[in-house]
Amino acid sequence: MKAQLEAIADFVKKHVKADDYTLRIQAWNSHETRFAQNAITQHIAGENINIDLEAAFGQKTGRSSVNQADENSLSEMIKRAEEMASVNEPDPEYVESASQQEIPKVQNASQSTLELKPEQMVELIKKSIANAEKQNAIVSGMTEKHYMEMLTTTKNGFNGYYDITNFGHSMTLKKDETETKVSYSSKDYGAFNLEQDIEKLNSQSAALHDLQPFQPCRIPLIIRPGALIEFYMYMLWMMNRRQTDEGLTPFTGQLGKKCMGEKFSMLSTLTMPDLVTEPFSNEAVVAKETYWVRNGVLENLPTPRYWAKLKNLEPSDPFNIYIPGENVSEEKMMQMVPEGLIVNRFWYIRPVDMKTGEVTGMTRDGVLYFKEGKVRHAVNNLRFNEIPADTTKRILALGVSELADSAVKLPTVLVDGFNFVDSTTF
Amino acid sequence: MEYSDIAMEAAKSLGADYADIRIQKSTTEMILLRNLSLKNTSTDVSEGYGIRVFKNGAWGFAHSNIFNKEQVTATVRRAFDIAQLSAQVKKGKGLSLAPERSYLASYRTPVKIDPFMVSLKEKVDLMLEVNRIMMNYEGIRQALFYLITHKDEKIFASTLGTHLDITTQFINPMVTATAVTAEDSQSRTFDDGGRATGWEWILELNLTEKAKQIAEEALIKVKADTLKEEKRRALILDPGHLGLTMHESVGHATELDRVLGWEADYAGLSFATPEKLGNYKYGSDIVNFVGDNNLNEGLATAGFDDDGVPNQRWYIIKDGILTEYGSTRDTAPQIGLEHSRGCSRATDYYNQPINRIPNLYLLPGKKELTPAQLIADTDDGVFIQGRGAYSIDQHRLNFQFGGDFFWEIKNGKLFRPLKKVLYKSCNPEFWNSCDAICDERFWRPFGVINCGKGQPNQTGRMTHGAAPARFRNIRVGGAQ
Repeated sequence: MKAQLEAIADFVKKHVKADDYTLRIQAWNSHETRFAQNAITQHIAGENINIDLEAAFGQKTGRSSVNQADENSLSEMIKRAEEMASVNEPDPEYVESASQQEIPKVQNASQSTLELKPEQMVELIKKSIANAEKQNAIVSGMTEKHYMEMLTTTKNGFNGYYDITNFGHSMTLKKDETETKVSYSSKDYGAFNLEQDIEKLNSQSAALHDLQPFQPCRIPLIIRPGALIEFYMYMLWMMNRRQTDEGLTPFTGQLGKKCMGEKFSMLSTLTMPDLVTEPFSNEAVVAKETYWVRNGVLENLPTPRYWAKLKNLEPSDPFNIYIPGENVSEEKMMQMVPEGLIVNRFWYIRPVDMKTGEVTGMTRDGVLYFKEGKVRHAVNNLRFNEIPADTTKRILALGVSELADSAVKLPTVLVDGFNFVDSTTF
Repeated sequence: MEYSDIAMEAAKSLGADYADIRIQKSTTEMILLRNLSLKNTSTDVSEGYGIRVFKNGAWGFAHSNIFNKEQVTATVRRAFDIAQLSAQVKKGKGLSLAPERSYLASYRTPVKIDPFMVSLKEKVDLMLEVNRIMMNYEGIRQALFYLITHKDEKIFASTLGTHLDITTQFINPMVTATAVTAEDSQSRTFDDGGRATGWEWILELNLTEKAKQIAEEALIKVKADTLKEEKRRALILDPGHLGLTMHESVGHATELDRVLGWEADYAGLSFATPEKLGNYKYGSDIVNFVGDNNLNEGLATAGFDDDGVPNQRWYIIKDGILTEYGSTRDTAPQIGLEHSRGCSRATDYYNQPINRIPNLYLLPGKKELTPAQLIADTDDGVFIQGRGAYSIDQHRLNFQFGGDFFWEIKNGKLFRPLKKVLYKSCNPEFWNSCDAICDERFWRPFGVINCGKGQPNQTGRMTHGAAPARFRNIRVGGAQ
């Protein structure tokens, strides 16, 4: 496909008349199989392409995209973007397209994922369902495979290309009144072990016995990676250099300061071979090893190109996320506090206040109560109102970092005094 | 021979039990203006077709953006093969489809001034003026204007012989002002959601006047007090707020696919299970919810759904009792329903249609009642306008909502502005606490253009609506 993308780029470059331009071409093919209640409910396959041209005459910009690669469609796209730019108002924050840069070499595509057949995907589902039926339970989930290519080229000489594979398999097991979930998402199907995931699913499900009502309170919480990923992603979303400089985020005035907990670091890294690394961003910002937070100190904030130019900074973008762990097991964490809860996943997290960084959300897929180092029973789901950056100051222990998503690696953490404010009936 | 005919002939010759094709061209124009800087001025065009084949009780879906006879035929073959593969993993005889007759019809969203024909200059000039008005207020640090215009042109054909030609479109303006002080920053937004209409709506809105109101209310909000403690109070909710409340706590809860457990792995389940139909007290006696895909200017109003089922109007909650769901041809038979309610919709051509919330609204009160009378009749409460933080559990029971602008009500009067108000409630407590709804003069729609659901995720569109309503004895407090 790369040759096809290059041919499209050549055509556009030859015909575009704008003073400046950025062309982004994304092509992908996907096979997605959803199953629910022990049967396949949806099954989707297809290829697609998106060709997106941002054109500029002076500071006047226009953008257009199409999903057809024939010359007529491309000519129409160029015409639309250029017409829009020519009649538009000048953008006082216009920044010229990215120039030639050295792009890090990354390996994001896996042969085993590319070679995976639909029949094999259905076999994975059959085995997942057989496991559920064996215990008189029902399982729902999704098995998916994707291949994506990205090419970006600009008038000023930036030329970048990368490709990514992704394989995912998720299982939500409902047994009687309890539900729990295990999911895998990685570039590499070859590293997937269904039996291991089924064992984990069954173990999580078995732990959800003797459900007892639990009143919301502040309590130590062991947050597993599947939950932590969603929680800290909202904090990352608020970590924008421009918005922070303008006084709109909780991080205003905090850059360079120790505003988070000593045990907490977060970075984007080129050094983890199992993590997907997009070598350049949508703005053509090249991936560079970056600590966002190091031992509680806010070292960097993602910075868009315009703001970087205005403030004489380096532009930056979180191309993946790695939160280093320690090596503390869940068993050890349970011994560190008198009592607490363990959560598998969070659900429906939403910002409550952008300035303080407070978010709300629910627990999901199994909450366990532990006391004196041992899991005692399951409890109902709970609502929390919390400020993720504040919780980093209350981290008592971290587990081993593991892949929670193809581009995110983080550990289980034990947080003291997690603020649960409400409960639900299941 | 048209591509739709080629596809349906190919599906029949392969032995499909049912098949349909949806040829869809989607055009989206987006303009985003932030502090007088045009962050995005774009037109996106996406064109292709999705083919569904139903075979032996299972679906296969394949899509393509390549228009020629060979590719159409190959895509049918691919969907057919996938359906056969799906049929290896089914329960019993698999799915069945509710009966439907064939239709030959067309539908166009009524539009007086087509926004795609309005010049970019006219749009940008208006947006810049609105931005400037807000930026002229000292203390307003960020002024945003987001304008989206979207059109879907669809041809739908099925092996039943149905052939539909449907064009729908909508427009959605959103204006936000953010005030910043040394201690805080707070935003105020004008957001009536999307509406299936033309540029004439934008002209009616008088956005330059609204810009002043939004900026001034942002400045009031940033200096406003917060509620120090959570306690039970009355809530009066305006239609711009209730739109999202009903979306989350009634709309999603009554999607039949969710009730059946088809969304268990991602969006979740529903507490409103079939044994509750006809007897579950979802709300007070004055609570009546209608599904209505014929609603004028409704975002789900399209003549037909993506199963080829005509639009309908039906009660989902009548006199407080749960009466029916939003259903599709493949979900309706699962609980013994004879017909689909026409809630099957896909976002893009490459999406397999799923069970969606219809246009869903709360009927106005039957007695004459104005918002002013409602406030005058409330001793201790909070009046909430617009939408804010919202979160609900995966069974659609427990929820916490914020809002965009708040007034404390004391002794029948708007006492003081507030910020960071949150309320917590659950089903069925919340809708059963509804004791007053203003009359039809005050009913307003609210169009949702970004309802995320499904895997791969789709952003559905539907319109809600309500008149201001009061809810008694709700836990209301503030953020940290």
